[in-house]
Amino acid sequence: MSVFGRSQAERETALLAELTELTEHHRANSEQYDRILSSLGIRSGEGFGSLNDLPWLPVRMFKTHELKSIPDSEVFKVLTSSGTTGGGASRIYLDKEAAGVQTKQLGATLQEVLGGKRLPMLMVDTISIIKNRRSFSARGAGVLGMATFGRGHVYALDENDQPDVEAVKEFLAKHGGEPFLIFGFTFMVWQYLYEVAREHKLDLSNGILIHSGGWKKLIDIAVDNSEFRKRFAEDTGLTQIYNYYGMIEQIGTVFLEGRSGNSLYCPDFADVIIRNPDTWEEQPVGEPGVIEVVSTLPRSYPGHVLLTEDLGVVHGIDDGDWPGKRFSVLGRLPRAEARGCSDTFSGAVAS
Amino acid sequence: MKRRFPAGPDVSSVDELLASISGEPTGGRLKVGDERIVDFLVKFARKLLAPQMARRYPELASLGFFLRRGEIGKVLKHLETPAGVLRFGRGLVFHIPPANVDTIFVYSWALSALAGNSNVVRISPRSAGAAEAVVEALNDALRDAHPAVAQTQVMVTYDRDDKVTAALSAACDLRVIWGGDRAVNEVRKLPLAPHSRDVTFPDRASFALISVDGWTKATPEKKREVAVGFYNDSYWFDQAACSSPRALFWVGDEVAGQQARTEFRAELSAVLEAKHHVVEPAMAVQKRVSAYGVAADGHAKSISFDGNAVATLELTEAADVPREWLGAGTFPFATLPTLSALVPMVQRKDQTLSVFGFSQEELEALAHDLAGRGIDRIVPFGNALTFSDHWDGFDLPAEFTRLVTVQA
Repeated sequence: MSVFGRSQAERETALLAELTELTEHHRANSEQYDRILSSLGIRSGEGFGSLNDLPWLPVRMFKTHELKSIPDSEVFKVLTSSGTTGGGASRIYLDKEAAGVQTKQLGATLQEVLGGKRLPMLMVDTISIIKNRRSFSARGAGVLGMATFGRGHVYALDENDQPDVEAVKEFLAKHGGEPFLIFGFTFMVWQYLYEVAREHKLDLSNGILIHSGGWKKLIDIAVDNSEFRKRFAEDTGLTQIYNYYGMIEQIGTVFLEGRSGNSLYCPDFADVIIRNPDTWEEQPVGEPGVIEVVSTLPRSYPGHVLLTEDLGVVHGIDDGDWPGKRFSVLGRLPRAEARGCSDTFSGAVAS
Repeated sequence: MKRRFPAGPDVSSVDELLASISGEPTGGRLKVGDERIVDFLVKFARKLLAPQMARRYPELASLGFFLRRGEIGKVLKHLETPAGVLRFGRGLVFHIPPANVDTIFVYSWALSALAGNSNVVRISPRSAGAAEAVVEALNDALRDAHPAVAQTQVMVTYDRDDKVTAALSAACDLRVIWGGDRAVNEVRKLPLAPHSRDVTFPDRASFALISVDGWTKATPEKKREVAVGFYNDSYWFDQAACSSPRALFWVGDEVAGQQARTEFRAELSAVLEAKHHVVEPAMAVQKRVSAYGVAADGHAKSISFDGNAVATLELTEAADVPREWLGAGTFPFATLPTLSALVPMVQRKDQTLSVFGFSQEELEALAHDLAGRGIDRIVPFGNALTFSDHWDGFDLPAEFTRLVTVQA
């Protein structure tokens, strides 16, 4: 069953009920979350008029606090992500059920573009990213999480992070004539797959590319999403390209690019709200603001309504490849820096 | 190393740098309150007080006032000695100022120069804005200054380099370390000469105190003035300076205190609006993260946001007051029944109390009650950031000099 079926009106009605229930659930099971809501004057049992009335937590709270709605004894998995901008790592606590749900819903979301069968999979990364447990990273977790959706994995980089052209050629010789899955982080896909495929005239026309991780490094070399899609299509034949937006703090929920490109869509159990950073009211369609993500998946930690530190814009509602809002991510909020007498000297004697 | 003052070609080594200021200056070695230095500082102050400069960087105007001839005279008067006691500079002073308060290095350098020292100041490569304007004004003022100034004072910028910092540390007679606990601990690993020592400025926390009675009795004009003072103390350095108030205590009756808070918040919002205060989205988010965090930890009963500019938290207990930076314009509130209720909460790292509505006697009694526990300065609202030659409990001009006793 498709998870891209709900119109915006249906979605909001269904999510409001579920997220209100989740809010109560987290209040009852996380003292810290309950204290936050109480301090904001939100009473337990209070209803909310609409999705955008639900109280949001800044996503960075998961870096500063241990927020969970399960007893320690139920913790099955702790996900950590190191932010790129310091301030420690997010810690996300999952019990067995939550771990299962997130995999299932991620699968249901990707199935929309991958079909029901597991496809041969080309990883645009190095196997050492998952082999080396000691330096297990968010990138490694992403690769490992995605690996379950494919089979016969081949890595496009060798263990020294160098493009392994022979391995890619061999993969294509074997699987290139049927649909196959390609996964990687956006900048790596560009740097290690696009460049290599163009140089060696590789045919990727049966590929389905799933990629994520942000555009910052590519914007620096003047490659945006449109350019990315255009050049892949022209030079490698690859046209099935799906960017996605997601974060470890809402693990299992991904906002997936539609077939026609340049817009991200929300699966039925999630939504986005773009907020005006001065008033925190919801922005109208077309007005950029700070992205809030809501999802019914987080049950073991209070991450169901989160204010991200990303900027985005909604392009339209119920008017695209799939129903609901379609939006883009525009970049990150800069980090707040204060002038103070006390430096964050970063271990440098004289930085 | 980039030579910032006196402007000139880059310096290739610490030896070269030290050699440039170790000769006998024209007109002889510097004295305490040396006229060659005073004259230069006064010229420099005039440049800071020029209307165009003061409009652009209001914090430089405060520095300019601090360095007027009259103010310098007051500092020097404190340094007078009884018969048979003579005061001299310590020799070479090495200053390591913070990267992100643009102007503080000028205060400590100026006092040290007035005290008759040669100085090496390391200006952070991260410094910008006002610091650049300061360096420019210093170089401008140097044009008609006595040559001894350029022969004894130098400011450089270099990237993180322990070797350079170590060599300057070994060579100096006094080292001045700003920048908080980490900077102090890091720099302290580098040894000084046996006779030399450090003046350190570690992490500090500061608070504001308002008398509920004082507020209630104040005229509307006075209330606005108090809010303006609080605005200056809090928002000038994004509430992150060591003397910016981290929390506001209301001293007196709880019920009247609640009424006073409401009025105060409205006044403060009006001031922010009049000043066209702009809050960056990232700062607004930072404040939410911090305020929610205090609530999550059980230390805040309620949180209110007056727009993005003012966040106030009602503390569960006054003693739970957070000392860490919560973001520009984030104010925990609590009521204290009396001034003396503050005493057990004060820690050694607490620096400034900015106050409104108390008498000199009450405040001196508080200082006596504190008996050295903490708090180095108690100042009226609006003066929290005003630098003085007495800072962090140090009598800086005295720290920057040494005494020679002479008995025939």
